[in-house]
Amino acid sequence: MSNGLMGINPTLDFQRQMKNQGGILQDATDGDVIGTEEVMDMAGGGTSLTDALLSFLGGGGGQGLAGLGLLTSAYGRLGDIGQRGLSLGQELAQTQLEQAAFRPYTVTTATGGQFMAGPEGQYTMAVSPEEQALRNQLFGGAGQFYQQAAMPTADREAEIFERMRTTMSPEEERQRLALEERLAAQGRLGVRTAQFGGAPEQFALAQAQEEARNRAMLGAMQQAQAEQRQQAALGQQYLMGSYLPQQQMLAALSPGQTAAAQAQQAQLYGTGLFGEATASGIDALLASGLGQANLMGAAGTGLLAGLFGGSGSGSGGSNPVRDLIDYFRNR
Amino acid sequence: MSQELKSINLIAPAFKGVNTEDSPLAQDPSFADIADNAVIDKRGRIAARKGFEVITTDNTPLGSNALTVIHEFERVSGSTEILSAGNNKLFKGTTTLTDITPGGYTINDNNWKVVNFNNKAYFFQREQQPVVYDGTSAVLLSTVSGAAGITSAIYGNEVLSAFGRLWVADVNGDKSTVYWSDLLIGHDFAGGTSGSINLDKVWPDGYDEIVALSAHNGLLIIFGRHSIVVYQGAEAPATMTLADTINGVGCVDRDTVQYTGTDVLFLSHTGLRSFRRVIQEKSMPITSLSKTITKDIVALLQTETESFRSLYSPEENFYLITFAGQTTTYCFDTRGTLEDGSYRVTRWPSSIFKSYKRLQSGEVYIGTTHGISEYRGYKDNNDKYRFRYYSPSLTFGDAARVKFLKKIKPTIVGANNSTVFMKFAYDFNTVYRTTEFTTGSQIPAFYAVNEFGPNSVPLSEFTAGQLTNQVSLNAAGGGTSVVVGLESDIDGFQLSLQEINILALIGKVL
Repeated sequence: MSNGLMGINPTLDFQRQMKNQGGILQDATDGDVIGTEEVMDMAGGGTSLTDALLSFLGGGGGQGLAGLGLLTSAYGRLGDIGQRGLSLGQELAQTQLEQAAFRPYTVTTATGGQFMAGPEGQYTMAVSPEEQALRNQLFGGAGQFYQQAAMPTADREAEIFERMRTTMSPEEERQRLALEERLAAQGRLGVRTAQFGGAPEQFALAQAQEEARNRAMLGAMQQAQAEQRQQAALGQQYLMGSYLPQQQMLAALSPGQTAAAQAQQAQLYGTGLFGEATASGIDALLASGLGQANLMGAAGTGLLAGLFGGSGSGSGGSNPVRDLIDYFRNR
Repeated sequence: MSQELKSINLIAPAFKGVNTEDSPLAQDPSFADIADNAVIDKRGRIAARKGFEVITTDNTPLGSNALTVIHEFERVSGSTEILSAGNNKLFKGTTTLTDITPGGYTINDNNWKVVNFNNKAYFFQREQQPVVYDGTSAVLLSTVSGAAGITSAIYGNEVLSAFGRLWVADVNGDKSTVYWSDLLIGHDFAGGTSGSINLDKVWPDGYDEIVALSAHNGLLIIFGRHSIVVYQGAEAPATMTLADTINGVGCVDRDTVQYTGTDVLFLSHTGLRSFRRVIQEKSMPITSLSKTITKDIVALLQTETESFRSLYSPEENFYLITFAGQTTTYCFDTRGTLEDGSYRVTRWPSSIFKSYKRLQSGEVYIGTTHGISEYRGYKDNNDKYRFRYYSPSLTFGDAARVKFLKKIKPTIVGANNSTVFMKFAYDFNTVYRTTEFTTGSQIPAFYAVNEFGPNSVPLSEFTAGQLTNQVSLNAAGGGTSVVVGLESDIDGFQLSLQEINILALIGKVL
């Protein structure tokens, strides 16, 4: 046990609390407090020295040395307090880092999907096998649709046009035959004109059929392009559908993330409280150390002031410092 | 006891023309078995035809060939010009034939058909490039500015100017197609509204060849050799439609088609036919106009190898059809028809007429080796020609009894100091007994011509008018049927047969 110069010992409850929060608890009496014995050791120790010192002390040098020792001790004490404060601050920071560190968690949806936040900060999402199968199907379908949409439309146009022509041809043939019969009845099958090529009715029919053919061709082109757009739209829909399980899982993740955030917030809040409390304790500890050092310094100052103030008022008075120096010089 | 002479009067003999179709014994005495170089005159009598007077004085370019085509080119200004063809050349002019054949153009035939169209005259004949005459010169149709489609495909033998277009048909190798030009442009057969129609699928009997074209009653009539198709709406040929088809009747040659205003006359392989215009019904009944000489016509048709030429003259009231290769012309009187619908017909044998043209003025031009002649006077280029009349076999209503001709009293109008031969034969004998007489002289007074010479006074005191000769000639012999004939050379004066009065004894029944 020290001579009582050093600080205040915390209560047991406080010590328990601090330990639970990872704090640092050190007995203030266990510090390196410089006592009388250490001062004596510093003065040289040994018998001769003791004698000299006793001699010296007997001559008023003791008082000076005590004051000097107190001052020295107070000086060292102040340095130690700073080091201690730094050390306690670092320990507190470390403790709070550990307390505020991310804690992994997992969110599981109703359809079996899982979102896992790893300890290293990595996130992992996994849908259920059924959802994965559906997603694969949709994704593959989207690829096929996009592939079809990216194909040239010429072949499809031709195919549609042929189908349209197949539908139109019988009626066109009936119209042609009807016109042929009508022209034959009118004796005009052999009509050729520079203006129309054949008879005007033949020209009109041919023109109508050609227009119908052109319309069919344009219709086939439009239909092929519409189908291309439809393929692209289906591909987009499939693609969007393939991401739907993931989107739904992400949507389901929000509440879980909120809960985790709340937990983390509470954790951080507790960490803050811990830090603040620990910092207060450290402040108090450092303040008491400062107080002790100040007190020691004041005591040393007082001793030195008493020493120098009583004999040093005349020219013939003794100077303990000089006496001490002379003592060691004369030996 | 002597018997009374029975008078048998043949009034206006042969005024019904020739009839070689009916049995001679059953025939109406108004028919004739022969009526050569005759016409039916204005009084319904059989009379000598007119002759021809040559107009052309210089036919050097024609050489010894005949004018086979005469055409009157009518300008829109109203002036006219005579165009003609012969000796593989084209001519213009009448008194002098001026060669207008396009330079460097070789003509291989003289069977041109010429039509007026839009102030130009167009010449078409088979396998020859058409020629167009613009009133100044004749050029090949293909050389006309703007000409199009002038290829051998339209080197047709038939051309028609109607409905504002030229219509061409009868092309070698394509005898079923009618080509039409652009509207009012006779040299454009490839542009505008030109075109063609092939009748291969139109002929009523499956196949025919186009021979002639005609426009009548607002219809386009296309004559095949043995069928006819009629189109309506030819004003817009691209949309014209078949109006009628006639099977079994066709046209033998394009140059037999003539318009009479109410009819279209044409020669079919069974005789002369016509379309009668029926405005209200818009139908075109077809009639036969040569029923009395059908077999004669057919015989001529079957042997004709040269060409046909025809003419319709409303002034002369006849339709002439000439079988050029056989120098025979039939003259159909168009003033009326007989009970069976036939025209009264006479024959002009030994005809050297190779072409005809009726002018706007009504004159009739005739093409011969002399060039252009006019149908007028009563001499054939100053030569006489013979008028012949023979009655059918006459039984005088009783074929069983013998007739003994005692007197023949012809009444002849006209003639001037002409010898008239009266002939008669019995029982279908072709050896005729002949008696003759000479008609009186007549010098008709003409306006502004002095009766007794150029300086005589008075200028013209009397005129005998048309001389009528009525003589009584003795006859002999007998038979159950008798044929009476009359022949006379026509040498400058008209001759008409007014009547023949026969006095005969009617004998026993054989």
